[in-house]
Amino acid sequence: MAHTAFPIAPQALWLRWAWLLPLALLPAVVALPAEPASWSVSWVAPLGIRLGFAVDGLARLFLLLVCVVGAAVLAYTPGYLHGHARLGQLVGLLIAFTLAMIGAILADDLLLLLLFWEATSVLSFLLVGFERDSPDSRESARQALLVTGAGGLALLAGFVLILLAAPGLRLSDLAQLDPAVLVQPGFQAGVALVLAGAMTKSAQFPFHFWLPGAMAAPTPVSAYLHSATMVNLGVYVMARFDEAMGAVAWWEGALLSIGTLTALWGAMQAPRERDLKRILAWSTVSALGMLTVLIGLPNELGALAFVAFLLAHALYKAPLFFVAGNIDHATGTRLIDRLSGMRHAMPVTALVALLAGLSMAGLPVTVGFVAKNSMKAAKEVSDVLWVVEGASLLVSTVGVAVASVAALRIFFGAPAHPAGRAPHEGSWRLTLPPLALAAIGIAIGLFPALAEPLLMDAARLISPTLTRADASLETEWLLRLESFAIVWVIGAFVYAGWNHLYRILDRLRFLDRAGPAATYGTVLHGLKHVAGVLARALQARRLSRYLVATVAATVLLCLPWAFGLAFPPPVAISVDAAGVLVGCATAILGAALAVRARDTLGRLLGAGAVGAGSAIVFLFRGAPDLALTQLAVETVFVVVAAVALRRYRQRQGAGAGAGRAGALRAGVALVFGLLLGAVLLALSGQPFDAAMADYFLAQSVPHAHGRNVVNVIIVDFRALDTLGEIAVVMLAALAMWPLTRRPPITRTSR
Amino acid sequence: MNSARSILLENTVSVLYWIMLGAAVWLLLRGHNAPGGGFVAALVAVAATVAHALVAGTAAARARLLLGPLSLSALGLALAAASGLPVLASGQPFLTHWWGELAVGAATLKISTVMLFDLGVALCVWGALGGFCLRLLGSTR
Repeated sequence: MAHTAFPIAPQALWLRWAWLLPLALLPAVVALPAEPASWSVSWVAPLGIRLGFAVDGLARLFLLLVCVVGAAVLAYTPGYLHGHARLGQLVGLLIAFTLAMIGAILADDLLLLLLFWEATSVLSFLLVGFERDSPDSRESARQALLVTGAGGLALLAGFVLILLAAPGLRLSDLAQLDPAVLVQPGFQAGVALVLAGAMTKSAQFPFHFWLPGAMAAPTPVSAYLHSATMVNLGVYVMARFDEAMGAVAWWEGALLSIGTLTALWGAMQAPRERDLKRILAWSTVSALGMLTVLIGLPNELGALAFVAFLLAHALYKAPLFFVAGNIDHATGTRLIDRLSGMRHAMPVTALVALLAGLSMAGLPVTVGFVAKNSMKAAKEVSDVLWVVEGASLLVSTVGVAVASVAALRIFFGAPAHPAGRAPHEGSWRLTLPPLALAAIGIAIGLFPALAEPLLMDAARLISPTLTRADASLETEWLLRLESFAIVWVIGAFVYAGWNHLYRILDRLRFLDRAGPAATYGTVLHGLKHVAGVLARALQARRLSRYLVATVAATVLLCLPWAFGLAFPPPVAISVDAAGVLVGCATAILGAALAVRARDTLGRLLGAGAVGAGSAIVFLFRGAPDLALTQLAVETVFVVVAAVALRRYRQRQGAGAGAGRAGALRAGVALVFGLLLGAVLLALSGQPFDAAMADYFLAQSVPHAHGRNVVNVIIVDFRALDTLGEIAVVMLAALAMWPLTRRPPITRTSR
Repeated sequence: MNSARSILLENTVSVLYWIMLGAAVWLLLRGHNAPGGGFVAALVAVAATVAHALVAGTAAARARLLLGPLSLSALGLALAAASGLPVLASGQPFLTHWWGELAVGAATLKISTVMLFDLGVALCVWGALGGFCLRLLGSTR
């Protein structure tokens, strides 16, 4: 990436020190009580939505991850994109994302959680699409947004169903959920939708494909969102629901099968990539699958293994993403075929890769080993299917191989990198943050007691019966050494045969044509296609066609109903209604003129006469205000329209009613007119409720000092409405202003 | 359209313009007790503006909309909104109108914030619709 091509912008102070922000939150997070505590204030009272926040052991673990990895990312970013013109924007988005994550983790109210969840989706879209000039980057961002956005909708529907079944339910209530609520079909359907939403966020099969796609994001974004935090939000929600749903038959089966499939799929796709970052992304998919499996395990140790693996994964995957970023930064490529022996040029990055790789492979004295050990313990206790067992063995061996690719293949052997570059280590920003993360992983590996209280508190939220005696993180590992050794050895073989594996798995290319990613593409393309067909079929691009279609549809919809209308008895026309008759005659003559006229001006005049006729009717029916307004509107309209229409080609010749199309239009218009007339006639026979009219007539003079009730209503009784209406009039003028930018007519002509 | 001038029309309109504006003011002032009011007054004023534009060009008609169409409209909206403010001081709801009497010689004149409101309606509609019509006319070649 040619970052030097951007103009060098001086880095603002806040950019350089932004990383202190999440770090400053760290003491507060550590000081949080391990006992669940909640805080709530009413927000949208009519809907029962509260600003409810809660904190407990599980939330604390997630908060720690967000803050620690967030600090590393914010320290790394200014070094990685040094001089990038929009660095400030990226850092700002990352800070906003940190806050959204903290909000999502602390949210206790379901809909509040949804709000922050969607915020992370939108920010993820902006972060993945940060390199907005690259079509690839934009497409990836859109894909991530569409998939996780659809998941967000599923989550919303799920939460609504759950809240219907259990009004006012909060996340912290899930532990003591009434079994009667649990068995309701509505509640279970809600949980199923929540699970679907969580699957999109945590990149579970078949929604996983956006995650490798999102590797178009800048490296710090991938290290933060796509390894340690946002993708874990889905498994976080699954874990929250696990205690309540543990008793439901389908829940654990679903988690186990989805997780296993995801883990296998990720492990199978990783060797098919040559780009280090995409290899890491597939291994993240695999790890997310394993996390889902661990939630699904029905015993206490599963919960402990879940939180341990969550911590370990964040502590080794984020540094490995940073390593991929450093390599890219120094050599301009991430293709593993073009890189080797980089340890000479980049010793610190090599050390980071080694430490994180050891942890990922699950070798002793690393946090990865602690996690692997507790995972093994959990699987020993429960009777897991051999499929799950076999899958996790396969996934672990591929994990060992991926770790070796990242730590050994690139950094050892004869030095090789793309010509024309002199790779060297970057500033402290590029090396220290990943080193710190990897070192924390080693420290916890050496002294598991450091993390034990944290992990136990977190696991107890999922399995309250977990005790310290059940699970010491370091016990019995010697007994399991044999099975670990099997994984390491097979993993070493996979690593040795990595290139062969690539060729073999490349034959699975046919899967790409039918896989979820391809389906996504087909659906998206099909949507556009259908929209195009519909638009072409419906949009005739002629006003007369639209009018005929609209009026005909209205007639067809209303006609059956019109036959049931009851008409009032006919009344004799009195002599004082002569004015009304004159008005009607004017309107009818105008209509005839409009139909028969052969040019636009004649038609306009005819239409104007119809309006004038109705004004006369209003005048003689006791509505002089209406008559005045109608007359003024008609006059201005006819004049302005006549002048404005002059610029359009005149369609001389046959009137509007000629020809076959004309006959159709005439028929539709006739039926529509009869229908409207019938409706109005029937309405006039309805009893008239004069309560409002009487009120205004009685109150007009005493309260508003006016005898013209119409005007009094407009300016006094309903003054606020009028204020809104004139505001609309002005807005309409504003809206049309740019549309009519033309040179003015001048007195001395063209 | 103005390739040919009509002296007769020009002279008629130059007088008619002021008659129409006068009618608009008359409609505005009588509106509270007899047919009329701010909206109709504005429509008559718009008709005057359009007539003037037809004989003198849109630029000339626009110049007679004092502040310019959109500003006139905004001023009207502001006047209408402001007419509801004084009454807030006495603790009554927004847009409750205030009435008072003014002694002019022997006669007493009733004055009210309603007048201000109706004037605001008239100016807002005149500016917006007048401007709209002028733009439409101006878009002809």
